[in-house]
Amino acid sequence: MTHFSSFGIDEALCRRVLSAALSRGADDADLYFEHSGSTSVALSDGKVNRASTHVDLGVGVRVVVGDQVGYAYTEDLTEASIIQAARVAAEIASGTRATAPVALTERRLADRYPATLPWEGVDLETRVRLVRDWEQRVFKEDPRVIRVETSIGDSFRHILVARPDGRLVYDYQPMTRGFVVCTAQDGEKRESSNANLAQRAGLEFYDEERVSRMCHKAVADTMLLFEAVKSPAGEMTVVLGAGSSGILLHEAIGHGLEADFNRKGISIFADRVGTRIAPPGVTVVDDGTIPHARGTINNDDEGNAAQRSVLVEDGVLRGFLHDEISAKHYGVAPTGSGRRESFRHVVLPRMRSTYMESGTMPPEEIIASVQNGIYCADFANGQVQIGAGDFAFYVRRGYLIENGKLTRPIKDVNLIGNGPDVLATIEMVGNDLKIDEGGWTCGKDGQSVPVSQGMPTVKVSKLSVGGASA
Amino acid sequence: MSLIELARKTVEDARKLGAEEATVSVSRSSELSLVRRAGKLEQATQATSRGLSLSLLVDDRFSVHSTSDLRPEAVSVFLERAIAATRVLEPEPERRQPALSLCGRGASEEELDAVDASYGSLTVEARRTAAEALEAAVEALPNRKRVLSATMYVGDSSDESVRVMSNGFEGVRSSTGFGAGVEMTLEEPGGRRPEATAWYSALHRDDLPTNAFIAAEAWEKAEQRLGSKPAPSGRYPMLLENRVAGRILGVIAGPLSGSELHQQRSFLAGRLNSVIANTSLTITDIPNIRRGLASRPWDGDALVARPMPIVEAGVLKNYYISTYYARKLGVEATTGGRSNWVVGAGARSPEAILRDVSKCIVVTGFLGGNSNGLTGDFSFGVHGLLVEHGKVVGHVGEMNVSGNIEEVLGHLVEPANDVWTWSSVRSPSLFFDEVQFSGT
Repeated sequence: MTHFSSFGIDEALCRRVLSAALSRGADDADLYFEHSGSTSVALSDGKVNRASTHVDLGVGVRVVVGDQVGYAYTEDLTEASIIQAARVAAEIASGTRATAPVALTERRLADRYPATLPWEGVDLETRVRLVRDWEQRVFKEDPRVIRVETSIGDSFRHILVARPDGRLVYDYQPMTRGFVVCTAQDGEKRESSNANLAQRAGLEFYDEERVSRMCHKAVADTMLLFEAVKSPAGEMTVVLGAGSSGILLHEAIGHGLEADFNRKGISIFADRVGTRIAPPGVTVVDDGTIPHARGTINNDDEGNAAQRSVLVEDGVLRGFLHDEISAKHYGVAPTGSGRRESFRHVVLPRMRSTYMESGTMPPEEIIASVQNGIYCADFANGQVQIGAGDFAFYVRRGYLIENGKLTRPIKDVNLIGNGPDVLATIEMVGNDLKIDEGGWTCGKDGQSVPVSQGMPTVKVSKLSVGGASA
Repeated sequence: MSLIELARKTVEDARKLGAEEATVSVSRSSELSLVRRAGKLEQATQATSRGLSLSLLVDDRFSVHSTSDLRPEAVSVFLERAIAATRVLEPEPERRQPALSLCGRGASEEELDAVDASYGSLTVEARRTAAEALEAAVEALPNRKRVLSATMYVGDSSDESVRVMSNGFEGVRSSTGFGAGVEMTLEEPGGRRPEATAWYSALHRDDLPTNAFIAAEAWEKAEQRLGSKPAPSGRYPMLLENRVAGRILGVIAGPLSGSELHQQRSFLAGRLNSVIANTSLTITDIPNIRRGLASRPWDGDALVARPMPIVEAGVLKNYYISTYYARKLGVEATTGGRSNWVVGAGARSPEAILRDVSKCIVVTGFLGGNSNGLTGDFSFGVHGLLVEHGKVVGHVGEMNVSGNIEEVLGHLVEPANDVWTWSSVRSPSLFFDEVQFSGT
């Protein structure tokens, strides 16, 4: 069975469009058909009072000449309209040598996120019951809770990538995300925190263990904030908790290893492949193959199989994340990292699930080794300048470390450092790698894609902490 | 079918299928963007796009929907599903549309002047030439020794949208947009490759600065990052550069919103008409600035867009309250979202202010960071210049600026006279006499 019919197209039409795309002598081209849909239901003020649905349908046509890209898209899937898009995209090329595309045979490259209970078969009432249940659980956790907001969002994406070499790759990509916000009052003080869970999965994702963990976390984190003191300021030792601390890797090194930046020579890591950039024991991976993870893909948006890419092996930089253009530039195989937000966007090398492999230290020993410093538990957002290498990430919640023990909670502090400097000062790597199940989204050149991140407990000897006083 | 006909028909069909109220917006846009690097066109994107969005009230239940699949049979399936989905929710009559008498146009199309008439006659060739000219301006820079890479961006767009509401409101909006920018990366001994971007956007092509100006700014901004390092932690005077002032001022934007007030998550709750900043701070929301980047004839509820004081001489004057949250909170609606923010200017230039300060950090850019709307606490990564008596003595980076926004705005002692008009936050550079920085 093929998926042409769900887009109202057929094989012959795809070949005619590819011919038009190649008509001015381009090296390569692709068609990216996408049909996506999303549904969300939200509760606030004790009422399930908002629903939304979104449908998107269209095709993007890309024409490649060396490292030059012509791109056009349309939401109108008639032949005339798609051919017109192909002609516009082809304007980047200026030759006359046209190549004819070969027959297209459909394949699916992997099946890493099968849904037991796909969202298409789940009625809205079930979603309503879920957000209501989460609300009740949050209220029951603590009498100081005064406001609860909950929401559930799910989406699907059918994609079909057609290439002149005969490749036709289909994928179905589900996603769901649950979100809980808790606001509490203790005397005159009010605090708020939230928790969320995300995966490429169906309704079965929301099992008892996960739901109670999410609801408990939102409340426990909120209550902890009542005890929080202001963080100290300045350079200090930082311990990153297992899980979402992977945001450090995402910013400090991940973006800098996306090969488009390196091809242009504008990343601080551009000339460092094969050199030591971190102490022995530090291995960093970007992996598109973890079952059901938010950042996982069966194939990338150029139709290449997703891979597990080792970026740093035992402290030595091994390679970059490639799409086809950068892979060709470097003479290597693509890593299955060519991703796009939708058919309206060009492909770029992007991260999938970025994490550091476990080391050998028990996390308690890492904390015990710190005289004075901070421990980071929960993160909001981060950013990097890929050329200078400076990066930052925002800590929503953490603890002071005093004499080898976690003492008072801290909150709302930005940490800043330089990627290569910080990697070089990793002192200890815990034995407790955890891939975070949060709904992380990565932004680059105005495009958002879902990603995952993970980390064992890690000690960094020096980061600049944006606290209240030195 | 024209945009307005499709919108009217969808409202009518929604009513027939049982919706008491419907708001439909249909839009069509064109975009073209070009990227040049190393003497050639690296990327060209061109498309015409469309979409329909819909909000419904069915038995006082509310939902929102959107689609880009505008085939008539697809729109009718979409509509039926949307209405069925709405019925399973709980009623919330506060979602009803505002009265038609409150809706309408605050400024005429002529006053807003949002469409550049030359857009239609712009050829692809002319745009390619414009990108080449921008690259030529970068190549003509006097000092290119350290330039590792320069990327030129040129783009434009045209948008047309209609809005039809079941309360009788109908509106049509059109606008054009033009952008030009240069991203530059320099080489620094030791391997760092500091980068900077100069980016400009405007509704009219003639409002963009010259290519030479954009190229020179990209160079200057990148040069300011060379050899940057953190200064010692401590409290310093801060001059916040005009083009990035929105990052600090924006900390109060969330807490000013009806949703955060209603959810009891705003430190500004109950603070109307009280002092939240130094008397030197005045912020006005002005939706009818001619060619303003965030100008608009009506707001998200179709309420007539009018200028509104936000902070007047340090005193909080208004919140952002949509029709829905006005009913929830039992107050008058103002508007649900920001348009242009105009920040009051002072008399002196930034240079004149800096000459009188013995040591000051000039913040020219931000990196990461966030804030807490319940407390007003914020912490942002920053980079900039260390200046003594008006003279640049060092480039700083890898530093954070932190504090409580109310306390920090109390230290905003003097706005300069250099209002930046290339943004929806039109602010001069702002001088604070004391702010907490963390570095080494």
